[in-house]
Formats: sequence, C-alpha cells, structure tokens
Amino acid sequence: MNSIQLSARQIAQKVRAGELSALEVLEDHLRQIQAVDGVPGSLQDLSLDPSEESKVHAFLEVSAQLAQKQAEQVQARVQRGEDPGPLAGVPVSIKDIFCVQGTTTTAASRILYNFRPPYTATTVERLQKAGALIIGKTNLDEFTYGSSSESSAFQPHPNNPWNTQRVTGGSSGGSAASVAAREVPLSLGTDTGGSIRQPAAFCGVVGLKPTYGRTSRYGLIAFGSSLDCPGPLARDVPDAALMLQVLAGTDPKDSTSALAPVPDYLAALQEGVRGLRIGLSRDYDHISYPDTLTGEMSVQAIQPEMNSAVRDVAEALARLGAEIVEDVPMPNARHGIPAYFVISRVEAASNLHRFDGVKYGYRTSAPVRGLSELYRATRAEGFGLQPKLRILMGMYVSAAQHSAQYYQKALRVRSMIRSDFEQAFDPRGAYRLDALLTPTTPTTAFRRSEVLGDSVLMQYSDQMTVAGNHAGIPAVSIPAGLDPLGLPIGVQFFGMDFREDLILRAAYAYEQATQNAKWRGVIPQALRGSEVSA
Amino acid sequence: MTPDSITPEMFAKLVTLAALELTPEESEYLRTELNHQLAAVKELSEIQLAEGVQPSLHGLDCQGSAPRPDMWLPFPNPAEILAQAPDSDGAYFRVPDFSRGEGES
Amino acid sequence: MKTYEIVIGLETHIQLNTASKIFCACKADSWGAEPNTNICPVCSGLPGVLPVLNAEAVRKGALLAAAMHAEINPVSYFDRKNYFYPDLPKGYQITQFDEPIGKGGYMDLEMPDGTIRRVRIHKLHLEEDAGKTKIELGERLVDFNRCGVALVEMVTEPDLRSGEEAAQYLTQLRQLLRWIGVSEADMERGHLRCDANVSIREAGSAVLNTKTEIKNVNSIDAVRQAISEEAKRQIEAVEAGQRIQSYTLDWDADTGTLRKMRSKESEADYRYFREPDLLPVVLSAEEIAQAQSSLPELPLARRARFIRDYQLSAYDADILTSERALSDYYEESVSLCGGAAKVVSNWMMNDLSRLMNETGKSAAELRLRPADLAEIIQLVEGGKISTATGKSLLAKVEAGGGKPAGIVEREGLGLIADEGALSSQIAAVLAESAAEVESFRAGKESLLGWFVGQVMRRTGGKADPKRTRELLLEQLKR
Repeated sequence: MNSIQLSARQIAQKVRAGELSALEVLEDHLRQIQAVDGVPGSLQDLSLDPSEESKVHAFLEVSAQLAQKQAEQVQARVQRGEDPGPLAGVPVSIKDIFCVQGTTTTAASRILYNFRPPYTATTVERLQKAGALIIGKTNLDEFTYGSSSESSAFQPHPNNPWNTQRVTGGSSGGSAASVAAREVPLSLGTDTGGSIRQPAAFCGVVGLKPTYGRTSRYGLIAFGSSLDCPGPLARDVPDAALMLQVLAGTDPKDSTSALAPVPDYLAALQEGVRGLRIGLSRDYDHISYPDTLTGEMSVQAIQPEMNSAVRDVAEALARLGAEIVEDVPMPNARHGIPAYFVISRVEAASNLHRFDGVKYGYRTSAPVRGLSELYRATRAEGFGLQPKLRILMGMYVSAAQHSAQYYQKALRVRSMIRSDFEQAFDPRGAYRLDALLTPTTPTTAFRRSEVLGDSVLMQYSDQMTVAGNHAGIPAVSIPAGLDPLGLPIGVQFFGMDFREDLILRAAYAYEQATQNAKWRGVIPQALRGSEVSA
Repeated sequence: MTPDSITPEMFAKLVTLAALELTPEESEYLRTELNHQLAAVKELSEIQLAEGVQPSLHGLDCQGSAPRPDMWLPFPNPAEILAQAPDSDGAYFRVPDFSRGEGES
Repeated sequence: MKTYEIVIGLETHIQLNTASKIFCACKADSWGAEPNTNICPVCSGLPGVLPVLNAEAVRKGALLAAAMHAEINPVSYFDRKNYFYPDLPKGYQITQFDEPIGKGGYMDLEMPDGTIRRVRIHKLHLEEDAGKTKIELGERLVDFNRCGVALVEMVTEPDLRSGEEAAQYLTQLRQLLRWIGVSEADMERGHLRCDANVSIREAGSAVLNTKTEIKNVNSIDAVRQAISEEAKRQIEAVEAGQRIQSYTLDWDADTGTLRKMRSKESEADYRYFREPDLLPVVLSAEEIAQAQSSLPELPLARRARFIRDYQLSAYDADILTSERALSDYYEESVSLCGGAAKVVSNWMMNDLSRLMNETGKSAAELRLRPADLAEIIQLVEGGKISTATGKSLLAKVEAGGGKPAGIVEREGLGLIADEGALSSQIAAVLAESAAEVESFRAGKESLLGWFVGQVMRRTGGKADPKRTRELLLEQLKR
C-alpha cells in the first residue's frame, strides 16, 4: 500500500496506532514528489527539458531532512507510548510565505532569496507540535501578489495537475497543486483576496479561509495585514477540518488573533445539514468588470458550468434537508475588487517598505553612490513587476491628497460589504442564513500566460472570493465537478464569524452525498501513469 | 483616458518616492497598468454611502488579547539577526552614507 | 529698531521607563549594551513578525497625559508613518497620528519673577523609538538596540516666549517626569529629547510667521542657547529685509552654532494609515479615572503647600520639592518630629543635603531614613546630645546603620549633666587656670565662655553646656 492514497486522518490514525511508520509515510510522499514535481523553481534562467512541461513544480524547497527528524520524533513518541499528536506522521507542505526556522523563506521573491528566519510561524509551530512532517515550501505568486502563481521569481511556476498547460490559480498555487498531485495530503496556504480558495477550486481540492484572527498571522510575511488569513488546503472536508483544528486558536504574538473558543470541527461534521439555511445570491451569478480605459463597469456572464454547479450543490443539500433561500441580496459584492485594489495595495506598499537591502535578503551588487541609490537599485533588482505595481498603486491611493478619495472611501465600502453579510446571517433578519453558497471563481483554470500581465483581469478572478476577506468571515471552497474540458469546478460557502463549523458541515454533507459521483473518480492528468492510477 | 490618469511626470515622482528605479519598458507597462487599476477603482468615488457609515479596519470587530504585561524576555539569538545582514562589521549593520545632494527625508 | 516677540513651541520625546520595549519583549534600556545585542525579530524589522503592545507603556502614557491635564482618549489608535531611513527597520514607524492617547492640556511654569506662564499642550502620543546610526569612514553603521523603545511625543502650542522660558519648561518637565515616575528623564542618555520650533513677530502682532525647527537640543543649556541664537539670527535677517525660510537646523553643542540640515519647503508625505497589526487602545472610564486619581500631588502644588503650611521660604520650598522622594522625606520627618517644620528644613537644607552630596545618594537611596533624622533632631532638641554630636550621627547612621539613640548609648555620646561629674571636671579646669580665675574674679566676666570651652575639651564636647555654665558661675563666684 502506498500511503499517498490515504487521507491525513487515516495516516495519523495508523501512525498513532503503530500500524504505519511516519518514516514510511515520508518516504512514500518524497517519492511522489520525485515522480511528479520536476525541477524546483529557480532564479536562474534554466533551459528546461520538455518533459518538465508536464510536471507540477509545486515545491521551491523540499525539506527532507527536517521532515525526517520530525518523523523520527513521531516514531519515538509512538514507541514510548506517548500521543504523537492529531497529525502524527502527516506530511504537510507550507506556502513559502511562512517563516520556518531551518528553511529558506523567500516569498517567491529575489529580494528574500537567501533569507533564513530565526523563528517559525505560529501556525507551522502548531502543525509541528501536532506531529506533522514539514516536507517543504511551495511556490506562489511573488509575495502572494497574483491569482495564478505565475509571477513567482522562481521559475518554472507551478502547473495545474489536472492540465499542466493551465495555471494552478494563486497565490497558494504550489500548495493547491501539491495536494492535488498527492505530494502531500495537506498544505498550509494564505488567503488575502481568495488565495486559498481560488487555487483550491482550480486544482480540485478543498481550501478554507478561516475567520480573520481565527489563525495566527505571526510568521506570515504580510501582504494585506487586515485581510491575510492562514488556512488549510486538503483533499477532503474532514482533512481540512482536522487541520483547522490544529491551526485555530489565539496567539499572544498576534494582537489580532481571536480569543473566541475553538469548537470541535470534526465532531461538527457529523451533525448534517438538516435545518441549515443555505442562501443563493443573484449577485454571485455574474461579475462586474470595468473597461480598462474608462472604468465603465459592465456585467459579464461567468462560465455557465459554475452556476449549474452551484444549483447542483443546492439541490443535493436540499435533498439532505437543508433549506435553500433564493435571491439573497449582496448588492455591495461588486465593489469588492475596487475596494481591494485600494486597501490591499496600501497595506502591501507599507509592508514592502522593510525590504531595502540593509538587514537581510538581496542587496544590489551594483556600485552605488549613496544610501538612496542602494535602496532604489536593491528594490529595482529585488522586486518583480507585481510588487512594484502594488507599491506604486498603494503609494498613490494613500498619498495625503488622495487618501480621502480612495483609501478612506474604500474602508467605508468595506463596511458596506460586511453589512451585506450581517443582514444575510442576522438570526432575526429576513434571511437568517447559516451559509451563503456561491461559485468560487468566475471560470475554471485559465491557460498559462493567458491573463498574466493584465493586472486588472487577474484581480477580477478574485471577485467571488474577496468579499469574505473584506468582511473577515470564513469561507470554504470545495470541488463540485469538472467542466467539459475536465477542469475542476469549485463552489464556496461563506459563513458567520467563527462559524467554520457550519460551512464545513454543509461542505461535508455535499461531499458525502456525491462520494460516488463519476467525476470524483477522475484522476488528474499529472498523476496518470503514476502509482495512483495503478 | 480618464482625467485621473497618471502622467509620466507624476509617475516618475511616484517611482522616486517608492525608492524604485525602472527601465523604460517597465515604466511603460507599470504606468499603463496603474492607470487601468485607477480606472477600475473609479467606481469607488461613485458609490453613495449612507450617512454614518464608518470605516472598517478588519471587517469584523477584532476581539483580541489585552496588551501584554511589561516583561523583559531577551530574544535568544540576536546574532542570527545580524548574521542575515548583506553587509556588517560584525557589530553593526553597514550601509553607504547619504551621498551629497541626497535628501534625508 | 522694532521690538520683536519670539514664539516658541517645543516637541519633546520622552522615553518611558518601562522594563521592555513598546512592541516586543526586548529590554527597554540598552545603555552600555554592545550594538545589536538587545534586538529581536520584531524590533529589527524582520518579515512576518508582529507588534504586541506593552500595557505599561499605555498606563504610563495615560498617567503623563493626566499630569499634563490633557484629555485622555478612551479609544486611541496606532498608525504607520511610512518613510525610508536606515535606523527605521520596518520602513515605517508605529506611532499615533489623529487619535492620540492625550489631547490638549497644559503645564504651568513659574517664572523667576513669580508670574505663572501657562504652556498649552497640543497633544501627547505613544510611539516607538528608532535605532541609532553613526558615520565611520564614509559608511553608516546602524545599531537597532534602541528600536522599539516606548516614547511619548509631547507637543506644546507656541506659547513660550524666550530661550529662558523654554529652558524653564524643560526643567520643570524633567522634574515632573521623575516625580510621577514615568521616565528617568536623563537628558544625557536621551531619555528626554527636544526639538524647538522658533519664529518671530513684531510685538503686539498676532500672526505666526514662518518658523524654523531646531533639532537635537538635548540639554537645558542647549535649549536656552540655541533658541536665543536662532531668534537673534531671525531678527537680524528680517531687519536686513530677508524672508525667513522654513529650515530644519541642527544644534551643535560643541561649537554653540546652528547648522542648516535641509530646507523643509515640501513637507514629506508619510502616508499615515491605521496600523492593521494592532487593535485600538481602549481605556475604560475606570482606567482613565485610575490614571487621574493615581497622580500624586504635583511639584508646584506641593511647593505652595510647603510655603503655606510649614512657613518655609520660597527658596527652601523650591529645594525641598525639587524631587518627589526628597519632599516625601521632608514631610515624613516633620511629622515624626511633631511638626518642627523649620528645624527639619534647616537640617535637611544643610546637613542632609551635604550628606547626599558626599555619598552621591538621592533621598530615596539614603540608609538614614526620616525616622532616624527625626530621632537625631529630637535628641539634640531635648538636650540629650550636642548639635555637633547630632551632625556626626547623620554620617554614622548612614555608614553603619543602627538607631541613633542606640549609637549614643553605646558610644557614650550623651551629654554629661550629672552635677557630681561636671563639678569634678570644673574643679580640675579651675585648678589648672589660676590666672584666668583671678582675672574673672577681677571683673573680666567675658572669660566665662573660655572656661566652658575648657570643660568641653576635657569632656570631649559632651558636657551639657547649660548646666556647665551654671556650675561654673557658682564655683567662680564662690
């Protein structure tokens, strides 16, 4: 038996029971990485063997030694009769935006190409304490700035395991791909505007963005500090629930981490959906998209399979006893991207100020005449186009003379976006929802290079997800079928603050009800011919 | 073009403030994209807000821990921080001084 | 020549005496530490880490706001001030911008002529300190030890009118900071730093003219001198028909001159925005009341009370209220001495202050406590020991500890008042001094003092002077 076929729950259960060695699990997964991942991303311009085109390229660094040590510790605990933890022996990949002591942490940027953090992110520490094996760091859009993972300074970028000519989505693209390609059962990602859910949808895996503050941001290299959320990517809903259980909780190192009690997410899954009120919104069956020159907004249809997937899921849940609430108004959803263009950029520009070639990471080797030149040359050479664009946009909209028009306005619009959800979830309101069901993305995975470079179109691929980040609420994306090209379709449940349990229940009910659906048996292209299909 | 669009002169100033320097190709691409993004956010100014809508910093009302007690707890390995420096003399981080004519602000 | 009025506003940075820095657990005070040894990922700006607010910095900030009669903000916010500088590792400073912890307020300055000048406070806000840089061989060396130390920045309205007034403000502020225990306020160590905004206007005018900002005026003398110099320069310039330009000037204390740092015509845009990594600083009504009620009696009030209740001179009251511990020491001693306010004041102004000078200790650090001082004063006043013995006891208690009465007992320092003992000493003196006895008896009565002195010499100063005098007269007139 190859343990890459197992869920995280099964691995942990078998390792804890002494039926399976963590070392064996590690070996199986390292072998899978070897088989499907190809060369890791690099700063050098490599001429690649054509076979690399069909590889996944999820990883920037495989930390086999670190994982080996952890596996040995897990085994030692098992042998001593101690509990090795709820994730005992489970290999986990970490988006390379999390600082992990003993790894290079690059944020997929040249400017951090050699950074070795002397500390570990709280979420990663929690995984380690739970017995997980940190198997490597996954590739992403540079500093998480993108929705395709193509903008990494380390190339080749990740490819979608379902069709390697397609993008993984992003920015947690390497994470989603590593889970889809069975290189790991679990991955730790971050979601600022949709960066867990969108790649999860594109890669046919489960991705959960927790409530803001439910998971600690300590050790996560910041993009939009008021929006960033670490969260799990997994192959099924219970695995995501199990990982969230480990990640969630307050952290004295993160002032914005929540004190709210953490429920038993796995136990909650068993409660089913009978009586849950699941909303649908016409404001999520299309997108509003601006003309790039005039800014005139036009309504555009989304890929029809997205809407039909949402209907299928709603019907399945209705059959299980959920109440479907039609036509829930989300009138401010369409402002999500414009507000995000402002808020996330202001925070990003400020967060990137610290990368200046003085303290760590890249410094220009060009001769400079003074300090300002050092800053400029270092940042010019160290940052790719996307960070530069975000710095410029952020600086422009937060300039003293523009701040009221853009930044302060965007913060108020953010309140409006939040109030849409508050009304929908209000237990004394007209809709009294437990969850809102929407497509995760307007389309399935797009072709490589198709959108890259068009920063506005790229951003609009987050239109379905970004409102959850503005509102701070939890949301989970789950696979809900394949489109005619065989690409995964994702649907998403939004929930109330700290009610990850409710959206996971709805997600799990659908997953269980469709366990035998034909599309669930389809194997991603990158795995065909490997041990998985054998 | 919208009246708000960023001219090459404004753009150059912005680039300096951002402590960046760009090739002509980069400038052209980034300025175009910036103008496209500004067109996209133009929508914001057209949104009519109801009276009393407050800015929201985190979406939800964060209920985090109280401020920490005043305790000195030394970081165990400050030398590892200095060791990351691209240039140091073993005690200080080292950078070139301001050159003549460079502003200090 | 026209007469001009000098208009001065001061911006002070006050280092709070917390144990740890404002957003991380590094030690607040790095005095004497090797560079870059008192740092952590948070204060040295490593990526991914987050600030966590120190509760004590908030408490001390609120206390200072209360002492300045400022309005304490029930909800204040931290903001990011963005700029590039090598001593600012994050590329932004976490500070408070539009909703600071304290707004408004004032400090009353008593001027040498006895008038009161009310200096209004514009605002007080909490922020983190930056690091230090120095130039060596054309390169800039950066030390982050000071990064993240808790500061209160306090800005006055332009209410000061001379370098002397500004110096007085700083002197009194320094005293207040120590008095309420929020800062060591040691200017040499940079605990209290000052920038001065200076402009001039024609006397009687109400306009505010272009001002210049003087940086680095970090001693009381420097403030007095730099402002006077700058005012003189501005007046000369205006008299010569020039326009004052908005410069930033650097004060060079060594040469006593001002150096132009940069033109400030275009104000930098710091692109302030709320710090998303921190929550609002919320102070409940109880906490605000607590800050206000935990405020001790302030120096000026105490000084006035000393003059009124203890009938002290203004000079004595000044000295005795220069430091809170000293004034507490005084009051406790007076109370233990049964209210002998003037006597205690004399002892403290002369002998205790000499002892403090000699030992280099403050009132709080003395081993000799108010109870000891009161006991010594009472021994002297009760005729149990001589004044000289009393004075020597101060040093003895300070050096070796012990209770004054016990030392007197043990070392036999008490006055000899016993008639038999004194009489025999007197008889011996008279026997040795036949000539003087004869002169006295011949009418030279001024010799009495000399006889007393002789008895004192024989008894090592312990003879009760009053009794000695009586007995001498008895025997001489016999």
